Amino acid sequence: MTSTVSNNGFFDKFGGKYVAEIIRRPLDDLEAAFNKYIHDPEFLEELRIIQRDYIGRETPLYYAPTATELLGGAQIYIKLEGLANTGAHKINNAIGQCLLAKKMGKTRIIAETGAGQHGLATAAACAKLGLECVVYMGEVDVRRQQPNVATMEMYGAKVVPVTSGSRTLKDAVNEAMRDWATNFKNTHYVLGSALGPAPFPDIVRTFQSIIGEEVKRQAAERNIDIAAVVACVGGGSNSIGVFTPFINDANVRLIGAEAGGIGPNVGENAARMTGNASREGIVQGYKSRFLIDEDGQSMPTRSISAGLDYMGIGPQLAALGESGRVEFTAFLDKEALDAVKFFARNEGILFALESAHAGAAAMKIAKELPKDKALVINMSGRGDKDIFITSPVFRPEKWKEFLKAELKRLENNEDIHDAEIMNN
Amino acid sequence: MNLMSHLIAGFPDAETSIAIADALVKGGANILEIQLAFSDPSADGPAIQTASTIALDKGYSTKQGLEIVKKIHERHPETPIYIMTYGSLAFTPGIDNFVRMCKDSGVSACIIPDLPFDCDEGLTEACKKHGLENIPVAAPSMTKERLETMASKGFKYIYAALRAGTTGSETTIDQATLDFIDTVGKGGAKVLGGFGIRNGEQSKVLSKHVYAVVAGSVFVNIVLGNEDSAEGRKKAIAEIEAKARELVG
Ligand SMILES: Cc1ncc(COP(=O)(O)O)c(C=O)c1O
Repeated sequence: MTSTVSNNGFFDKFGGKYVAEIIRRPLDDLEAAFNKYIHDPEFLEELRIIQRDYIGRETPLYYAPTATELLGGAQIYIKLEGLANTGAHKINNAIGQCLLAKKMGKTRIIAETGAGQHGLATAAACAKLGLECVVYMGEVDVRRQQPNVATMEMYGAKVVPVTSGSRTLKDAVNEAMRDWATNFKNTHYVLGSALGPAPFPDIVRTFQSIIGEEVKRQAAERNIDIAAVVACVGGGSNSIGVFTPFINDANVRLIGAEAGGIGPNVGENAARMTGNASREGIVQGYKSRFLIDEDGQSMPTRSISAGLDYMGIGPQLAALGESGRVEFTAFLDKEALDAVKFFARNEGILFALESAHAGAAAMKIAKELPKDKALVINMSGRGDKDIFITSPVFRPEKWKEFLKAELKRLENNEDIHDAEIMNN
Repeated sequence: MNLMSHLIAGFPDAETSIAIADALVKGGANILEIQLAFSDPSADGPAIQTASTIALDKGYSTKQGLEIVKKIHERHPETPIYIMTYGSLAFTPGIDNFVRMCKDSGVSACIIPDLPFDCDEGLTEACKKHGLENIPVAAPSMTKERLETMASKGFKYIYAALRAGTTGSETTIDQATLDFIDTVGKGGAKVLGGFGIRNGEQSKVLSKHVYAVVAGSVFVNIVLGNEDSAEGRKKAIAEIEAKARELVG
């Protein structure tokens, strides 16, 4: 049996609470509160109702007939986490942690975000639960992810651009840690993936495991015989969430898809478990595998999917990867784009670019599996949010025209009905 | 009084950081805390992060950083040098190897805030083996229990971070702070107290209660914004010497 929870914060040799003492107290307080409330029937019932009525659980386990036929192997099933309110699995964790924070008497929530999906989920959770929300986001990401910034602000969150370091996700994490160290008396830090110092990996996995529990129940109800589950791996929250109930079921292969970016070299990808750009390290509070150089400095990462574009991987997944329980593969940007197209055309389902890495993995391995077995793809999010990234790839000229016309209209302060484009 | 003053190896460049060390010693600092720049210094405030980024952009990684440290040590052999950095830079090359490199560069202690005393990857042991001290960093938000455990571990020095947050904001020395300092020193450790020291008045009040007053971001802030011209750097170096003198009193 592989333990599915940490041993005092560690998963084999990975994990831990490698933090300065200034941040120790809030982590220890959080750990105590989590261990209390996660066994409190009242808390669990409140969470269950929110999951049902607000998030929209359970999410469907969709049988994909055309994909199954075209791929010519196992039956393809897609867990539609993209149908969760706010468009991705991130809300499972955001709601869980915000509800916990509220029980702890916190009134202010902070979060880091890269692509903006976790920030967006946290902003929505705060709006729903009546909490103040501040989201730290690298200046570079603020610039390239404007639609999510706009939505976070719509939910009433304050988005703070982070101008230090590389001005991306990891720097937003540093900034959130600093805020927390100063303000933890009234503030909870909602970390967005199954990583960081203990107890975050355990907390995030717990709130995300509902994905896998539903898959297991849905499969049992419908006599679906699962041979493999695939999920994309950024920090690892959707993957550990869908994998957890299957970790001790040796009949089920668990496959993690990382971002292969544009190639195998340093700075070209975000692959921590495959390739040779990564090594073991202690960064941002936990021991795991990171894209760091031989001194231990963080290195640049690259992926078309902002949600996978991060240097570290959750410690539990690193341990499961080293033990061989979870198989890791990496897919290139262009393979993810092909997967987006494939499932959109053939199934009417639009994958987020992150989730499309899992889609690409399924497309590759489906035929290795027997036809009477199922291959479950966790579609962690839907792709509406990626329109500014996919449109320039799939229809660059029309997209350019659209943006130019929109800009002109804004500059002339015209209503869409009066704009030039309406008259020719 | 004892002043432990802080600089970053390679910030704003090798030559100037050596000149800064000279100025600090001349101004009366008797311990140098030299930071090896790290890409993700989450226990530091924005000033030190910005300065670290500048040093890293110029290529001052561990090896080059320690070369600067060695030069400073050769110029000021009487002034103890404590290295401050993050766990990643010590763990990645191997803790023992890292401590040995420090030793070879004339370092006499390590301050690595994210390798906590009860899970330090062998840092204390490696320091002992090579004749260095490991100096843990205590924070006022620690539970009394944890703080007392740290204080009783037999560390020769403990760095007391005198406010709930990170470096860079003002410090007030109130009764709670004084009580905290007392607890830190309970087990016999000499207390290095600081974070946010800005002026001579503050250091004078604090110096009565600690073995050494620590000042860091005040010096980094003098350099920031002046680093791009020779004239600016020269002015900053003079100001640093004056500030050290003011803090020593
Ligand atoms: C849709 C989606 N999938 C996956 C991820 C990657 O995160 P994780 O590995 O924690 O699931 C993100 C992160 O932003 C995301 O938005």
